[in-house]
Amino acid sequence: MKKLTFIFAALMVLSACKKDLTSLNVDPKNPAAVPSYALFTEAERLLTNTVTSSSVNLNIFRLIEQQWTETQYLNETQYQFTYRKQPDGIWTALYTNTLSNFQKAKQAIPVDVKDAVTQKNEIAIADILQVYTYYYLVTSFGNIPYTEALDITKPFPKYDDAKTIYAALLTRLDTDIAALDVSGASYGAADLVYAGDVAKWKIFANSFKLKMGMTIADSDNATAKATVEAAVKAGVFASNSDNAVLQYVSTPPNTNPIWVDLIQSQRHDFVATSQFMSLLHPGTATQDPRLPYYFAPSIRNSTYVGADNGSGDGTLAFALYSMPSGPLLTPGSIGSLTNPDFPGVLLDYSEVAFNLAEAAQRGFNVGGTALTFYNAAVTASITYWGGSTTAASAYLAFPGNAYTTAAGSTNFNQIALQEYLALYNRGWDAWIVNRKLDYPKLLPPPNAFSDFPVRLTYPISEQNVNKPNYDKASAAIGGDLATTKLFFDTK
Amino acid sequence: MKKILLLNLCLLLVATTQLFAQNHTVTGKVTAKEDGLPLPGVSVSIKGTTNGTQTSVDGKYSLNVPDGAQLSFSFLGYTQQTLTVNGNTLNVVLVANSQQLGEVVVTGALGLTRTRNQQSYAAQQVNGDEVSKQRSNNFINGLSGKVSGLEIRQNNALGGSTNVVLRGYKSITGNNQALFVIDGVPIGNTNTNGSDQQQGGGGYDYGSPASDINPDDIENVTILKGAGATALYGSRGSNGVILITTKKAKKGLGITINSTVSVGSIDKSTFPQYQKQYGAGYGGTFYPANIFGNPNALVVQTDADASNGPAFNPGLNVYQWDAFDPTSPNYGKATPWVAAKNDPTTFFVKPVSTNNSIMITNGGDNGTFKLGYTKSIENGVIPNSKLDKNLVDFAATYNITPKLTVGASINFYNTNGTGRGGTGYDNGNGDNRNVMTSFRQWWENNVDVQEQKAAYERTKSNVSWNMSDPIGGTTFPAYWNNPYWVVDHNYETDTRNRYLGNINLNYKVTSWLNISGKASLDTYSELDEERYDVGSIGVPYYSRYNHNYSETNFDLLANVNKNISKDFNLKALLGTNIRKNDENSILASTNGGLIIPGLYALSNTLNAPLSPTEADMRSEVNGIFAGATLTWKNMLTLDGTIRRDQSSTLPSANNKYYYPSVSGGFIFSELLKQYTWLSYGKIRASFAKVGSDAPIYSVNDTYTIVPPFGANPQAILNTTKNNLDLKPEQTKSKEVGLELAFFNNRLGFDASYYVTDTYDEILPVNISGATGYSREFLNAGSVQNKGFELSLNGSPIRTTNFNWKINVNFSRNRNEVTSLYKDATGQEAQNLQLGSFQNGETLNAPLHGSLGTIRGTDYIYTNGQPTVGPDGQYLITATSNNNIGNTNPDWTGGINNSFTYKHFNLSFLIDIRHGGSVFSNDLAYGLADGIYPLTAYTNDLGNPVRSPVTDDSKSGGFIRPGVTADGKPNTVRVPGGPYGSFGDGTGIIPLKAFVYDASYIKLREAIIGYTLPDGALGKLGPVKEVTFQLIGRNLWIIHKNLPYADPEEGLSSGNLQGIQEGAYPTVRTISFNLKLRF
Repeated sequence: MKKLTFIFAALMVLSACKKDLTSLNVDPKNPAAVPSYALFTEAERLLTNTVTSSSVNLNIFRLIEQQWTETQYLNETQYQFTYRKQPDGIWTALYTNTLSNFQKAKQAIPVDVKDAVTQKNEIAIADILQVYTYYYLVTSFGNIPYTEALDITKPFPKYDDAKTIYAALLTRLDTDIAALDVSGASYGAADLVYAGDVAKWKIFANSFKLKMGMTIADSDNATAKATVEAAVKAGVFASNSDNAVLQYVSTPPNTNPIWVDLIQSQRHDFVATSQFMSLLHPGTATQDPRLPYYFAPSIRNSTYVGADNGSGDGTLAFALYSMPSGPLLTPGSIGSLTNPDFPGVLLDYSEVAFNLAEAAQRGFNVGGTALTFYNAAVTASITYWGGSTTAASAYLAFPGNAYTTAAGSTNFNQIALQEYLALYNRGWDAWIVNRKLDYPKLLPPPNAFSDFPVRLTYPISEQNVNKPNYDKASAAIGGDLATTKLFFDTK
Repeated sequence: MKKILLLNLCLLLVATTQLFAQNHTVTGKVTAKEDGLPLPGVSVSIKGTTNGTQTSVDGKYSLNVPDGAQLSFSFLGYTQQTLTVNGNTLNVVLVANSQQLGEVVVTGALGLTRTRNQQSYAAQQVNGDEVSKQRSNNFINGLSGKVSGLEIRQNNALGGSTNVVLRGYKSITGNNQALFVIDGVPIGNTNTNGSDQQQGGGGYDYGSPASDINPDDIENVTILKGAGATALYGSRGSNGVILITTKKAKKGLGITINSTVSVGSIDKSTFPQYQKQYGAGYGGTFYPANIFGNPNALVVQTDADASNGPAFNPGLNVYQWDAFDPTSPNYGKATPWVAAKNDPTTFFVKPVSTNNSIMITNGGDNGTFKLGYTKSIENGVIPNSKLDKNLVDFAATYNITPKLTVGASINFYNTNGTGRGGTGYDNGNGDNRNVMTSFRQWWENNVDVQEQKAAYERTKSNVSWNMSDPIGGTTFPAYWNNPYWVVDHNYETDTRNRYLGNINLNYKVTSWLNISGKASLDTYSELDEERYDVGSIGVPYYSRYNHNYSETNFDLLANVNKNISKDFNLKALLGTNIRKNDENSILASTNGGLIIPGLYALSNTLNAPLSPTEADMRSEVNGIFAGATLTWKNMLTLDGTIRRDQSSTLPSANNKYYYPSVSGGFIFSELLKQYTWLSYGKIRASFAKVGSDAPIYSVNDTYTIVPPFGANPQAILNTTKNNLDLKPEQTKSKEVGLELAFFNNRLGFDASYYVTDTYDEILPVNISGATGYSREFLNAGSVQNKGFELSLNGSPIRTTNFNWKINVNFSRNRNEVTSLYKDATGQEAQNLQLGSFQNGETLNAPLHGSLGTIRGTDYIYTNGQPTVGPDGQYLITATSNNNIGNTNPDWTGGINNSFTYKHFNLSFLIDIRHGGSVFSNDLAYGLADGIYPLTAYTNDLGNPVRSPVTDDSKSGGFIRPGVTADGKPNTVRVPGGPYGSFGDGTGIIPLKAFVYDASYIKLREAIIGYTLPDGALGKLGPVKEVTFQLIGRNLWIIHKNLPYADPEEGLSSGNLQGIQEGAYPTVRTISFNLKLRF
């Protein structure tokens, strides 16, 4: 009996206070800490993926902007956002995948990076890209969590006023610009866009500041003017060589997401709209030099032809229409839009020049005339896509394209139209510009769910998870509808 | 080596047989005094030895005895008799003793036995024969409808997983499955189905690992329902425990052979019917073309995977998919535009399956042994699908001294699956591994499945009905592969080898003290391989998932059983348990495609392969526990336990936790002996608390390393925030019960009412994505389950030749999320989203709602009626957080009848589920697509609903039931032809419309058996029993409200139930079984 008591006592001691059990709870396959640059690279790639993507679950703005339309299953074309939950997708992609990883990178940089200047530069660059990310959130949803965002102690953050956030973003951008020391280094190769070139980031930040300024030109002319003029003075993009692009690679998983959506998946849902195609003047003397880079001739008839937006009750035979160009998609097409290594664009010179043209037209002092910037913008777009400068000059010489002679429209409309064409592969930006300049007029397709959407409805997850704040935000903006106009969209 | 082993076994068999072949044979019949009926299953033993036998169905026995021996006859509920053998015949009449019902021995937690009097919690026992008689190779299915409080959902895909939940869902996101314990060894039952698969995103249902267990080795199954019964199992017992006791060797040699042949077929009421008026298209036209020398050719919209197209017209010749298949007899030919002769129903085969088992047992004075082998080959209703099992069971005990016994058992289970059906809706890769998704959601009713088969067999390539642009020369599929190509080229295989065993030692220190120790192991390794061949739409791939699981338990237990005084009995125990779990896996896959078609190897990768995904999860729980059961005069019982656990998955500051249980029983019938009609009466009550640890790796934050970008490493933060301050979660459970038996136990009744509160639940709480995370582990929610269970059994008729037994089970559970997370400002989370599905529907745990609430868009109601707008279409909520269904049933029940007439018996089980919802994405899409007859009916004006809407009596279209905003009935006619008119494709109908009542009444099983009478047996030498059985499973769904599918069907076991996506039809099985016992 004694023996037994002893055995039991021993076993209990053994089970109660032997080695520290919690050491078992350390995951041997996933790290507790990673280098800051690994987080930065991933966040930069995910951000570029999100703005580049053509996924029907995420980036549907080429459809909203009626550059493309769907042949079957017209939900996105018809502005239905609850079906595939794009607002949820975008919210997650930008907040959870992008902003939080930049945030974690910023927190890890002081640990990893010894050199004080490099440290400061890296934190500023990550912050610039956070401002960039917030820009898309605030211009898409309106009021969003900002002051309480990215804070795990606030699992149900309140939403802040969109206009206030916008002002805060501009201030933040200025702080970042001031923090950049061009004599110092930054991420190096881990920066997939500028390979750590701080001077380029400085120009990028100012160019983006210019863009942010112009976005509010209708709603807050004074701030717009001050912002734009300061940015220009500090130096903005001057040519396509300044463009912020991420060069994807040709093998998965680091490919261009368009290739994943259109080629790898072997789907062919998207074709040109007839409206957009008509603006490219196919088969005429005034044919847009970008046409073969934008679209492929139809498979069946080898002609450039678009389908009426949202037409056909879902019975369009894709083979009768022009699909996005790319040798992988359609034999014989010139462009490389659907190639796996086609670069993704964060900001380009053409867009900067259009903003400058519009600024000049508004009477801002941006060191040039609307005409010169307009011509530079169109030329930059054509040459970026593969056209020659000669072709660009010829294109600009046509009366319908020339800034001064374009008939039947104001100069703002001419800028808006050309910017719309230039932002072909960047539907999200086309949507922002289109809401501000309201040209070209886009009308809802047949059987649309709403009038033309001027914002994204809030994610279903926010309705379910963060309801009181969601309710307040919805009330504050005038209703969680796709047709509720946002602060910058005054007309 | 194998041969030598076998040889040894044979020798052993011969030796043991010889050992007992002695003396003379005595035969006889045992009957009951009150009705003179034979008593089957009476234990007959030779006094002073451990040799013995049992009486047969007709009460007869036969035994070799030494001269002058005494025989003991004992049977539950009857007074034991001991008689001296005198001659070759000994007939016995046993007297019922109702008091003894309380002496029935019930196995409880840790295999500890208590008499029924001493047991003060709900437990229900199912006989092994009840479990195995239906001859399904998944024994879990054999429990359906037989136990109150137990909800079993079977998935219909071959070898599909089975969801087993006792007394409702307690954990919002954690495991709710009952724990299976086989002979004291807890077994792993976590399926390897991924989260995509569970949310309908495609994949395979790899089944429930617990289904490995050999049904023919089960002696009985005891279901411990509440925490009062299971507290000693610690955290894992909080979901209830299913205790399996395997067959034990009886004295003397016993050999049982079962041989079963089954034929399966689909239950057509659970598969779509196809309308026969309209064919391929999303609209009303053919594609005009100039092909095959025909400038006015009309070509079918082969790229449209829908049947909203032109009306069939036998006089019209059009070019269909086969006109573009150069090997087809119809190549280049226009053929009549008619409905398919062979719709997808003909895709299914009627497979023949076999199951053969042998079980050999032997026992003597010095020990026992058991050896069993089962081979089953189950063929599925989908071509090229098969589940092959080899099960070996071995156990032996040896009495070293009369006080010291050692035992060991080892079971080897080998399971091989081929072509388990894909589940859900593959949307990532356009895989369509699940042919059901196409058959139910996206189909052209002009397509003849048998012609697809012929095309595949002619070409051995992916000639699909869904050609993307045949006019332009692209015959590659738009969305859907040829289904025969899919099952031949894009299939999975899996294999699992499992060892389950223990060694144990039992030392009887004194007459009242027993010490036992046990080391047990459950370990398996499995390999799941998935293939997607070159030539299919999407990216071809090969992937393999290697998974190793093991659980080791060390138990030491001291047991006291002592009569303290004449009236007091004390049973006490003190024990420790050390449990170690180790699970690791590697998932590796090709990248970007395959180079060589049909070669499924990781090296056959188009692009450089990416790092495999590894997981390594180790955990340990150390427990000590004590318990005592005090009984007074067999009338009052007080039972208490306490356990302390220390778990590795909790932060060290909070990793130790204690929890107690107390229960009591009062056998009031002891005081009411004058009422002879009352055989037994007991009330019982229990209270228990159980602590539970955290999911593994939910404490420390980690990052995930993702494939590098060129030479640049990439890493990403996990979107779930872990928590260094987690505490154990707790379950408190209260239960009262009443057991009654009447008329010599002819009628019995067992009712329980329970309230279970689970609180401080460790949950990955959904938080706003704006935090940078989508979830955070917190001690957050509380869930309450309240319910009522009732089991009734009776023998309405008991005569010499005819017996009728009935058993009824009823369960009702109400589940409520009573609290969710509150943040620092006191704002409480309103909902926890559990899963999100293809069509925007979500499964949720809303505050003050039920776990398993379906949310989505709803109608806007006026006076309780759906409101329509001026265009006659429904007004729909802009929000998707409306509660549109609850997947929990109102109640479930089972009625089991069994009739015996002489040597024939008949039994059947009716399984009922009342209420609860199921969301059918199959109908949401399939109705939008115009596949079903519900989309092609004759409207109220007598015209085809798809005809154009006009303002005269010739109008097609229909009027949506509902009212206008001012409450008047809707009168506006809307078209029925376009895509999305009846389903969800264009968003004009809310998701609420696709929530169906999941009630059913099923004839789950029916069995007719015939046992050879003794007279005939005599001629068969050593054969003791010959039984023939005809068994039907899933014979008839007597009632259901979900069209074209089985409301029970789901995607996977787990917490996400009640969503149908590419549902499998129910498989009806008819089996013939021959049982031989030697």
